Parts: sequence; C-alpha cells; structure tokens
Amino acid sequence: MKMLNLIKKYGTLIGFFGIIIFFTINLPSTFLTAKNFINISQQISMLAVVAFTMTVVMVMNDFDLSVGSMASLAGIVAAVLFSMGYPIWIGILAALFVGIIGGLFNGFLVSIIGILPFVATLGTLTMFSGFAFLISGGRTIFGRDIPSEFSSFARSGIEISSLDLKIPFLSILALLLLFIVWFILEQTTYGRRLYAIGGNAEASYLAGIKVKQLRLSAFALTGVGAAIAGLMYSSRVASSNPTQGSGLMLEAIAAVFLGMTMSEEGEPRVLYTLLGVLILGVLDNGLTQMNVDSYIREVLVGFIVILAVAFSSITKKRN
Amino acid sequence: MKSCIKFISFTLLFLSMFVSKAWAEKVTVITPYLAQPGTQMYVEGFKNEASKKGWDLNIIDTKGDVAEVISRIEDAVNQKVDGIVINVDPSQIAAGLEVAAAANIPVVGMDSGADPLLVTNVTSNGYAMAAETSVYVANRIEGKGNVVMFVFDAFPPVQIRGVIADAVFGNFPDINVMDRITPDVQDGGIADSRAKMEALLAANPEAGSIAAVWAAWDQPAIGAMQAIEAAGRSNEGIVIVGIDANPQARDAISQGGNFEASIAQDFVGIGSATANAIDRAMSGEEIKSKVIYVPTVLITSANVGD
Repeated sequence: MKMLNLIKKYGTLIGFFGIIIFFTINLPSTFLTAKNFINISQQISMLAVVAFTMTVVMVMNDFDLSVGSMASLAGIVAAVLFSMGYPIWIGILAALFVGIIGGLFNGFLVSIIGILPFVATLGTLTMFSGFAFLISGGRTIFGRDIPSEFSSFARSGIEISSLDLKIPFLSILALLLLFIVWFILEQTTYGRRLYAIGGNAEASYLAGIKVKQLRLSAFALTGVGAAIAGLMYSSRVASSNPTQGSGLMLEAIAAVFLGMTMSEEGEPRVLYTLLGVLILGVLDNGLTQMNVDSYIREVLVGFIVILAVAFSSITKKRN
Repeated sequence: MKSCIKFISFTLLFLSMFVSKAWAEKVTVITPYLAQPGTQMYVEGFKNEASKKGWDLNIIDTKGDVAEVISRIEDAVNQKVDGIVINVDPSQIAAGLEVAAAANIPVVGMDSGADPLLVTNVTSNGYAMAAETSVYVANRIEGKGNVVMFVFDAFPPVQIRGVIADAVFGNFPDINVMDRITPDVQDGGIADSRAKMEALLAANPEAGSIAAVWAAWDQPAIGAMQAIEAAGRSNEGIVIVGIDANPQARDAISQGGNFEASIAQDFVGIGSATANAIDRAMSGEEIKSKVIYVPTVLITSANVGD
C-alpha cells in the first residue's frame, strides 16, 4: 500500500525522470547539457505562459478554449499597429488590452450569463479567430512591418560569459509569469478563494465568496496570459499570422492535466503545470534529436498524457 | 623500417577515409507545409537523392507552426547535424538561422525565398517561365495580332512574370497588347477574369480581333477560356496560355481547345537539386549563387498526358 501511495504521488515525476534518463542514455553528448535545457526553456516559454494562466481558470474547474485564438489575435493587433507606424509600446499595450477585454468577455459569458465554459469559450475561440483574420485580411504580417527591436527581444537574453551561456528573455519572462501566477494562487486570499470555488462553488457562494466577480477576473487573467504568449510568438517568428496560436490551447490543457496527476487532491497547481509543460517540451526536443518521425512523436505525446491521467485516476480509485 | 612506417601510415589513411565514409551524414528537413502536394513532391525528390547518398535523414513537419520550425532548427543544431533544409519564409525563422550560422551548420532553402543566412535557395525561375509562355504565344500568332494580358503586379512572384511578357511582346512590332488586366482575385481569380474577358469580347465582336490571351497564372486563363466558349468564339483560334500547370489547366490543355499551354515547375527536381546543394555545402564548397534555378517544363497537348 505504501508503494502504491508513493507511485500515486510521484508517478508522473518518476515518469519525467524516466524520460530524462532515457534521452540521456540515447543522446549521451547532446541531451543533458545546460545549452540544451536553455534551448528547451525557450522553446516551451510560450506554451508555458498559456498553461500557467490556464491553470488559474482550471483551479475553479473551468476551461478556456479560446486561448489559442486570443494568442493569434493579440499578435495580429500588435503587428497591425506596428505596420501603421505606431511605437512598440502602443502595440504591446493594445494587444494586452485586447487580452483583458477578451478574457472579461469569456468571464461575463461564463459567470454572469451562466453558459458552460466549454460552450462559451468555444464560441469566443471562433470569434477571436475571425477577428484576427478580419484585422489582418488573412495575411501574415512580416518583414519591414515588424520593428527589429520587437523581434530581437526573442533572440536576446542575459549573457553569462563565464559559462558561455545565454539565458533567453523569453525563458525569463515565462519564469516571471510562473512566479506571479504561483504568488496569486498560492499566497493570496484571492487564490485560496479560487480553489474554494473549484472545491464547491455552491458552498463558496454560501460562505460569502463573491463567486461571479472572482470567475470574471480569473478569465481576464487567462486572457492576458494568452495575449502575452501571442506577443512572445510574434517576436520569436518576427511576424504575425492569424492562426499562429492555434496549437497552444490543447497542449496547455494537456500540460495542466499532466500536472494535476501530481497533486494529491487532483487539483491544478501551477508548479505541477510547469512539470507538465516540461514533459511535453523535453519529449519534443529529445524525440527530434533521436530522429523519431514527427507524426509518431505526436501519437506518443498523446499516449503519455492519457497514460499519466489514467494511471493517476486508477490509483486514486483504489485508494 | 621506412617502408613499414609508410605502410602503416597508408593503412591508417585508408582506414580513416573508410571510417569517415561509413559515418552517415545527418541531414534534417524542416517544413510547416508537408500536407501540401507541392511540398510532398519536393520531399520525395529530396528523399530519393538522400537515400542514394546514404544520409541519415530526418523529415520534420511542424504542421503550420512557424515558431516550431525555429525550435526544431535549435534541436537539430544541438544534435550536431551536418546540414539543415528548410521550406518556409526565411525572414520568419531568422532566430533559428542565426543559431545554425553560429554553429557553422549550412542551411539551404527549398523554394523558401532568398536570405543572407541561407547558403542558397533552390526554386523555379519565374522570369524564365514567363519568357517561355510569352514566346510560345508570339510564335503561335506569328508575331502579329492583339494580345490580352492578365497580370497581378501587387504580388512580387507574379509581377516579375508580367515584366518579362511585356518585354517579349514589346519586341514584336506587329503585336499589340490591347489590354493589361488585373483581375480581382478574392474569388480565386477565375470568375472576375471571365467577366473582364466577356466585356472585352463584347467590345471586339469581329472574328480575329483578339489573337491571344497571356495569363500570369492559370486561373485567369481558365476564366478567359470560359468566356470565349460562352461567347461561342472557340473556333476563332484565340490562343490561351497560363503558368503553373495546375490540374484544371492540364485538363483544359488535354481537351485540345483554346487553352494550349502552361508551364510546370519541377517539384521533384527542386527536391533533388536541394539535396545536391546541401551536399555541396556540407563538403565545404562555397556556393556563390544565392539562388539555384531548376528548369521548368512547358506543358502542351503533346506532353500533358505524361
């Protein structure tokens, strides 16, 4: 029973180290290096930001399916403003503003109108995507329209010359957001109330928690997170495309689920979400280096998510 | 003793050559567009050539995700591959190209657009394609008559086609470009081209008043053909040519009607030429030209079935 408990608690973590050991053996000289892990941290930074802020709504048992389209829309809004000659800070502020408004709209539909989050955000997913196409005319905005100061952000970092390493700004930004979300969820009354809503919304309401306002604001946070990820993406590819963020949503939810298998109560915790994102990022990196077919990679990633969640739900049932 | 040393050193040299040959070179191809038919043909040509060369080949499809192309370039660089091939606008993946350049790993573009960070880009020559179809028209109408041009100057790859056709027709004193039409392409380019052509046919009712239609891509040529057929003027011998040789154009050409010719890019050939280019770059050869053109094929009723 003790053994089972241990596996239940640390199964996903053991799996993660299993993956690391597997790649280290198969890629002895190139996988377990500081440079490669800095690489991975940069590659997962956008997904990480979306997943961290997705955790905020998932704490309340809610979902936000619109994060991918919001990331696309935010990137497009900034790029269109850049192409019209506005300074960078205006483009960034406008994109973040769109994120807040979009998030609040999601929150309004879910908490005030009372539509199921799945349905409400499925609707806004389509709406945001439509806006992104409308504003951009369906084009990819690139080249001279994107200021080089904006795109060089994703290519720069803090140089550590003694180790010949560069910590990318994208990774630092993701870490900063991890800290902010961790602080909000774990260290404030606000965060504890969100967990209370997730535990039992009805009871929380009866206990005097302002459920509606809290849900509204949590969705706004998720919206801003998606907008930040969209800006990071645009900076990385020095362009904006109306579909650029579409891959983020499912992976972010998968990362939160992977993380949930590690928490005892099956609640989303943002530090565990980080582990979920890391698992996805390490798999992508390692399997690419091992020349595994990209389609097989996809099947494998899906399978691992199912395996982890199935395993944790089986062990929980037994308990 | 001397001969012994000689023997040993020769053996070592021979062995070292053998060992370096036995180590397969690692090449990674990264594209967001593997689902598209053209890209699949590039990759097919590349694969054939790579298997002949015995490369350890990794083909990665990022399914439309451009940022992931950068991530996979970083992984390939970290994996210390010998060469990388990309099939995406290089200006959007500069972050990845810089990483490869810093590691001295050559990157070749497969119909990707030219960029200083690429060793070279292998593609089709848009100028040559336009030259071939416009000369075909000029020869078919024996250097005289009214020609209608369909152009699209807002899109650079199509704009250069128009420039060449202007020059060719301008060089025949008896050829008169009666109209240079830019169709509305929002509906795909066929419907508006047809409408514009119908208006021209109505304005020039007498037989022989229009000798040919030159289109910078296939859709306007198809629209013009439909207009000519609808006006009952298919038997006037109006010559129509397009560019790209898409399936609809090939079908029209095989019918043996007014749509006589189009020009096809050799996608498989671009793939194999890309493999040869990265091979040269990996062996340390300096490739001077930033663009390598692969010949295109004029498609007429004679070879449309091939």
